[in-house]
Amino acid sequence: MKILKMSKNNLDLFVSVLPAFGEVYAPVKRGDGYAFERPSLWSDVQMNYSRTILPPKKLLLPPREITFVFDPDKGFRDLLAEASKPQVLFGVHSYDIYGLNILDRVFAQAKYPDPYYIKRRKATAVIGVDFVPDEKHCAGSMNADFVDHGFDLFLSDIGDSYLMLVGTSRGDDMVVMSGCLMQQPTAADFEEYKKRSRARRDAYTTRLDLDALPEILEMEYHSKVWDDFGSKCLSCGSCSMVCPTCYCFDIGDETDLGSRAGRRVRSWDSCLLKTHALVAGGENFREERSSRVKFRFYHKQRGFVAEYGRPSCVGCGRCVAVCPAEINIITVIETIRGERDGNASGATASS
Amino acid sequence: MSEPKTVLMIDDDSDFVTAVQALLESAGYKVRSAANGRDGLQLAKTLQPDLVLLDVMMSERTEGFFVLQEMRRVPALSNTPVIVMSSIYSDEPVFRVDPEAGWLPASLFLAKPVEPAKLLAEVKRLTSPSEAFAAAAERKQP
Repeated sequence: MKILKMSKNNLDLFVSVLPAFGEVYAPVKRGDGYAFERPSLWSDVQMNYSRTILPPKKLLLPPREITFVFDPDKGFRDLLAEASKPQVLFGVHSYDIYGLNILDRVFAQAKYPDPYYIKRRKATAVIGVDFVPDEKHCAGSMNADFVDHGFDLFLSDIGDSYLMLVGTSRGDDMVVMSGCLMQQPTAADFEEYKKRSRARRDAYTTRLDLDALPEILEMEYHSKVWDDFGSKCLSCGSCSMVCPTCYCFDIGDETDLGSRAGRRVRSWDSCLLKTHALVAGGENFREERSSRVKFRFYHKQRGFVAEYGRPSCVGCGRCVAVCPAEINIITVIETIRGERDGNASGATASS
Repeated sequence: MSEPKTVLMIDDDSDFVTAVQALLESAGYKVRSAANGRDGLQLAKTLQPDLVLLDVMMSERTEGFFVLQEMRRVPALSNTPVIVMSSIYSDEPVFRVDPEAGWLPASLFLAKPVEPAKLLAEVKRLTSPSEAFAAAAERKQP
């Protein structure tokens, strides 16, 4: 892997040439938070953001996607080509790149590859940037604090400059196109990188013990703790919407009024929603809120481990930030491990 | 007599704008101007000019590049000829990316200071009926 160095003063010039590789999305301020959007000026780009409201998943697996249109007169038209539009995601944190790598496993490397996702992923360049964890990040515990693939370039802050890891030939093309903006790093730069990596690791205030968690979850399947958290959960699905690795979707056909023409639409779904496990005939496999809360945790921390060898949580802290009932993954896991009292943690509804 | 062609100039150097405006108006062009990218983009959307003269270094040194990207996303402006005029290469010697390398979606790059006769010739060329026809044909392509 090639490693270069770029002065922070040159970053705006570097970003100016990125549209050659696709439409550029970067973290910009949105209300009290941040969002991956098209910046209208370099000063819009926030290099020191905490986390975006929605993960970059929204640009690879859109919240609502028309996969094809149909018309009895004009026939059928697949919109797969729409997914090939090149885009550049600039300023993606390591845990979100990890999230994309997990989506790759599900949509690109699984038994039934998803052509829409694969097209978008191939057409998407990813430029990562490191971050300083806040009290909601637990990416360190989830081994998502560092990524070794899934990006074209990765920028690590070393003071006045960034160390730039080149991950792909497309990343190398970006370096070549940007001409003389890069330099060769020195041994002192590498020392600074290591020092800052240690400092970042030490900056985590939230840690999570994953040892034997799948087994403990197996043992605690019928625990009352799930009823406690279930009584608190509002079933709003916000945690799924903001999760970089929640990938459930619904498919439906929409037809125009007075016509037989229409479209097939794929849209985000959530296992927290009551209709998620509702099937024809009216049977609902997870009618109780507690069973839906439990299902989400089991899928993330147990089912995914069994299938893919690691949990699908990346420790971004988004679900903690948005949950209106203040259900916190750390609290849930500590409670189920018996390290925290359920009632004391606020797991039980006050009503 | 045909309608005069409209040129939109987006540049924060008012003296330069005044000089170019006089030059183009004397040649029969109608010139409108904006002193920053945001206003320029808004004006471009409503005016739909025949040609845009775009500065790069305004409130920020890469502002014009962002304006150009946004312009190309607007269907009505996606094929509008744009001449980028800037001194970025002389002011920022570290920036050595060739403007002809395909990353800049402009019709032409002219380094400031710009030779008036050259500018006028390029404006005439890019707003000529044959160029406009070529641009319209490109727009019709799927």
